[in-house]
Amino acid sequence: MSLDSIPSDLREAIEGDLDPVRPLHPAWVRTMLAVAILVVVLAFVLAKASLRPDMDQLPIWLSWGCSILQLALGVLLIGLALREAVPGEGIPGGAVRIAAITALAVQILVGIATSIYSPAITMPGSGIAPGIGCLKHETAMALPTFVVTLWLVFRALPLRAPTAGLLGGAGATVASDAVIHLLCPMSNLTHVFVWHTGALILFMALGWFAGTIWERLRWRQTS
Amino acid sequence: MAVDRRAEEQQLTALMIAYQKGDMDAFTGLYEALKRPLIRYLWTFVRNQTMAEDLLQETFLQLHRARQTYPPPRPVRPWIYAITRHVALMHLRSMRRRKEVLPDEDLPEVPVPPEMDQLADRATVQRLLGTLPRTAQEVLILHHLLGMSFEEVGAIIGIAPGTAKVRAHRALKKIREQMIEEDA
Repeated sequence: MSLDSIPSDLREAIEGDLDPVRPLHPAWVRTMLAVAILVVVLAFVLAKASLRPDMDQLPIWLSWGCSILQLALGVLLIGLALREAVPGEGIPGGAVRIAAITALAVQILVGIATSIYSPAITMPGSGIAPGIGCLKHETAMALPTFVVTLWLVFRALPLRAPTAGLLGGAGATVASDAVIHLLCPMSNLTHVFVWHTGALILFMALGWFAGTIWERLRWRQTS
Repeated sequence: MAVDRRAEEQQLTALMIAYQKGDMDAFTGLYEALKRPLIRYLWTFVRNQTMAEDLLQETFLQLHRARQTYPPPRPVRPWIYAITRHVALMHLRSMRRRKEVLPDEDLPEVPVPPEMDQLADRATVQRLLGTLPRTAQEVLILHHLLGMSFEEVGAIIGIAPGTAKVRAHRALKKIREQMIEEDA
């Protein structure tokens, strides 16, 4: 193959499909689209549901303060996922690990702090039924943002698609947990770790899995 | 040197924007400007000139499929090199699956920058470069041969700029040590 000119088959392939394309918006603009969905879902839930009964016992930094922190962290994670989806703007592996660990750590620490300030709130029974209820709520709240985030990620070209999916899953769930934290009346740690942290891990794994599938489909034609 | 680099980047950005608008001449311009450095970069993965040339074609096809994902007016080269790297890695993965082995070839002829030219004669530097592990070689080539900043190198490879700097430093140190050993 001569390097002096474009090979004829490459030229034909390009000339056959040279329609103008609209460039991708910057990551922050795409993040705002995912955040808009998130805000609509969370505002709807907050308007319809009643706040946890022990809100008065929790200091403001732990109730609304931690919710705002989790929301900000969720938006940041979604932004990182969308940035990771653009070639040449990849996030260092260490930063990805820190982001994933921070998402888990913040959720766990908020759960522990809540159980310290309001340890008496528990539900009767084995906890499976309320746990499944919380998982359903968390899933229903995280899913729209998760789907929109992954759609935006896969419309671009994530070169580490599983990583981008994991960050998107973490972002959607952490942001949803910001509101769940204000609604769920149970503060015992088993419930928090199994059902709420479990939901976070589940969505991170789903994002990773979706990324793996997308990557296989997108690159299967490469030699 | 810095001015040339900026002018070159501006030219690539202009070509990329025109290419996104459907200009075939702009694609040709990009191909002409990038084919040799990309071949050089692809060689670090496959160490075979023919395969690197085949992968160059695959790279440009992938660039074409993904051309809307370039967000102007960001620098073009990190975007292109990141895709190039991915094409090469996917190819290596596929080769490993098929248990294929390609014969190693000498590094293709490329301009060697002054800081590396000072170390030894060009042939020695090129030979020693070829003995480095791929990760070290990749950073050296992107930074020292292709003139990218460590921030750009980090963004292409997915590592922190500081890590890229450390890798480049260690690789240069290793080349120096090998030269001293050979002299002794």
